[in-house]
Amino acid sequence: MKNSVEIDEYLEALWHMKEDAKTSITELKAEIGDNFSKEIFYECLNDNLAAVSDDDKTVTLTTKGEERARRIIRAHRLAERLLFDVMGMSKNIEEGACEFEHMVTPALVDSICTMLGHPKESPQGLPIPPGECCENATTTIESSVIHLTELEIGQTARVAYVNCRKDHELHRLNGLQIRPGVYIKLHQTYPSFVIECEGSNIALDDEIANNICVWREKKYMSKTNDAVKKRSIFGRGIGIFKKCRNVN
Amino acid sequence: MKETLGSAEKSHSHQMPLAPVAAELPTPRKVSQKVIVTGLPNSGKSQIFNNLTGEYSIVANYPLSTVCVKQGQFRMGDEQYEVYDTPGLYCLFIHSEDELVVRDLIFQEKPDVLLLCIDANLLKQSLALAADLIELQIPMVIAINAIDETARKGLWIDSATLSQITGVPVVESIAIKGIGTNKLKSAIQKARVGSLSIHYGDIMTRGISTVESLLPEALPYKHKTSMLALLNDPFLDNYLIDNVPEEQLQKIQDTVDEIQDYFKGNLARTINHKRAEWVDSVTEKIIRRQVAFAGRVSETIARMCRSVVFGVPILMGIIVITYFLVVNVADWLSKRLDAILWAPVQEYLNALIPYPFWNEFFIGQYGVLTLGVAGAILTVLPILSVYFILYNILEDVGYIPNLSVLSRRVFDKIGLSGASIMPMVLGFGCKTMATLTAKTLTSPKERYITTFLIAFALPCAPQIGLNMSLLGKVGITAFIITFSVLATIEAVTGLILNKIIKEDDKNCFIQALPAIRMPNLKAVIKKTYYRLFWFLEEALPAFMYAAIAMFTLDKTGLLKASKVFLQPVVERFMGLPTEMVDALILVIARREAAASVIIKMSENGHLNYVQSIVAVVLTTMFVPCMAHIGIIVKQQGWKSTVFMVFTMTITSVIIAGILNKLLLLFF
Repeated sequence: MKNSVEIDEYLEALWHMKEDAKTSITELKAEIGDNFSKEIFYECLNDNLAAVSDDDKTVTLTTKGEERARRIIRAHRLAERLLFDVMGMSKNIEEGACEFEHMVTPALVDSICTMLGHPKESPQGLPIPPGECCENATTTIESSVIHLTELEIGQTARVAYVNCRKDHELHRLNGLQIRPGVYIKLHQTYPSFVIECEGSNIALDDEIANNICVWREKKYMSKTNDAVKKRSIFGRGIGIFKKCRNVN
Repeated sequence: MKETLGSAEKSHSHQMPLAPVAAELPTPRKVSQKVIVTGLPNSGKSQIFNNLTGEYSIVANYPLSTVCVKQGQFRMGDEQYEVYDTPGLYCLFIHSEDELVVRDLIFQEKPDVLLLCIDANLLKQSLALAADLIELQIPMVIAINAIDETARKGLWIDSATLSQITGVPVVESIAIKGIGTNKLKSAIQKARVGSLSIHYGDIMTRGISTVESLLPEALPYKHKTSMLALLNDPFLDNYLIDNVPEEQLQKIQDTVDEIQDYFKGNLARTINHKRAEWVDSVTEKIIRRQVAFAGRVSETIARMCRSVVFGVPILMGIIVITYFLVVNVADWLSKRLDAILWAPVQEYLNALIPYPFWNEFFIGQYGVLTLGVAGAILTVLPILSVYFILYNILEDVGYIPNLSVLSRRVFDKIGLSGASIMPMVLGFGCKTMATLTAKTLTSPKERYITTFLIAFALPCAPQIGLNMSLLGKVGITAFIITFSVLATIEAVTGLILNKIIKEDDKNCFIQALPAIRMPNLKAVIKKTYYRLFWFLEEALPAFMYAAIAMFTLDKTGLLKASKVFLQPVVERFMGLPTEMVDALILVIARREAAASVIIKMSENGHLNYVQSIVAVVLTTMFVPCMAHIGIIVKQQGWKSTVFMVFTMTITSVIIAGILNKLLLLFF
């Protein structure tokens, strides 16, 4: 299959159009820009990746095309997250991600996704299509970014990012200085999560705690031994309560 | 804006008439300068307000202790200053209605000075708010509070540098001890508009100035308004609709859409990020660290209070101690007062007033002095004093918010997310205040359930004190049974309401926990004094009117008639003596008045073990007090309130009846 990179771009454009509820071919031309080539467009149709309506006005992804577009978008947006969160880049993310999306295998994408703690949104706030790894939500490889809920009591970690569905939750957390880059210490997990952040103690429910993703850092993890001993006294309490710490 | 402004309007009576800002005339020479005290929740605003004005606004070591705007004055030189104490604010981008009160107040009153209280323990969090407020371009003063606590932690805050960076006067203070008040007063005279070196980037700056140019000339705080508009602040829409011509409004919307589109919904994150960078850089410049180990003890105590293993026994311990102090000390106090103060007065008056009618009017069973004055001062006041001292110590220590950590999962089961815990926990203090804080809940379902549960079987501070004292007369088991019954009723009611009302968006639970501190004896005594003073101020007239009403009912024979009429319910169904009818009528006027009658009944041996329990359960649930009903009406509307009160009254009688039958099986 030649022109595979170009075809990917057309599928990506069609996916963006789908997110914006656009379907017309003119809009596809606008999305692609000056480089619009009929040849590649026809190739998409021939490969049964996209379908044109009877009146030749609208174009949509086929099931096969959608599956492929989804993979590309997923790789692209995860790449953006990776560059933004891990590499700390704030410029040229788009270019880097564009290169990236064509190179990675699905398995590698899943690994990155797991490492990042299955993020739900790209840095621009666009949804990342979930992969198999997210649906199973299994931590098959030792991830560097973990949910706050997976931290042990007494451990300190740096916040990687906060996955909040609602804006006001984000503002609220931000007001309490829970934001990417700050260190937080987990004090208690039951009956509520209690963390220490910038000198103040904050109680959170499980859902919010699960939405806060932190870096697992070696130098802070080493304090664990000390913390584990303490755990039997403080925090989680007696054994019967352990099972209540349901992390979804 | 009407609805949102309404909330601010209710909170204080000295409201300026609402006029569209654009149409306002140039202000005449000011009579006095307006100062609005603002800051994060629990940052010492009320304490600073009290220090400045000499008024008293309840101070407690937990967030949400101020729910209404309070007003006071002070003089400095030739200037008269009008000071407003406000509820806590996290940022000007609003999450809940109680924060909206503060923003509305600022936008309406257009203060001459903003006084920002910063809790030195929460420096970064406070600086984020400072950044937000500086952008309003109002002359500002920063008061750094609780510096003694940070000093103990080994942190020194360089206030001179902070003043240099922000361009506004910064004053250090220890508000609880009243240190720094005079400096603060003179700083208020020198308040200046701050400057902020945050660059949001060209695109956003352009967007802000575009929106700014579209806003009417006379509108205040155009810069901030534009920023909030760009962020799509949900509470701003009505304000803009009221103050901006329609064609401009469309243009503003277009600009907002354009900028939002550019940032792909990531605008809030970007702004927060820029602000966070500023906060970090400022903190770095103004914090000096020193190694110190103090604060460990307080941290350990706080952790113990929150853990299941220690927290539950600690809670039990506190309850038991309170119980014994209330029952024994208050009882002793009450008896002493009765013997020293009341007995001679009663004897003297008895001899002085020969006419039977007037004799009865003053010192008869339903006399103004017997039921009104003596009931309030001799029976209720001692119990409340002891209880309030203990409760105020807990408040001052900062214990109460920790309960929210312990009880969250229980609340989860009855359909309440963590956000409703604090209002419920505060309900053990004052149900009226607690209902006001329930305003912070964004989900209507949770707000309804919380309001209902607070109003129903949850005893408020005076109720707990009085119930303890009353049940203490028949033994601690009665106390345990009663409070278990009340807890069960609350749980079952919660479960039922959770099933009936359909699900909607859940609130999240993010609760800042205050640092545990040693109680300040002076502050506790002062607070107890004010709480008792307010109680007497409110309750004494109510007690006396209630006494007059009872006297009239008695003299006209209506009381007897109602006793005969209610006898089957009261005596047969609930197993209580018909005298309880007096108490039930008094409940409507004032709960404490009813309690004083029941306590008297118990002292005279008219109530046995089972009857005491039934009487307490009944009066705890029976009709909420007047002030409380008023607040429920404001929040839930008339229809809902009538339904609530009706349901509660009927249910309380039914439950009391069933409880009576059940208890008779065992005792």
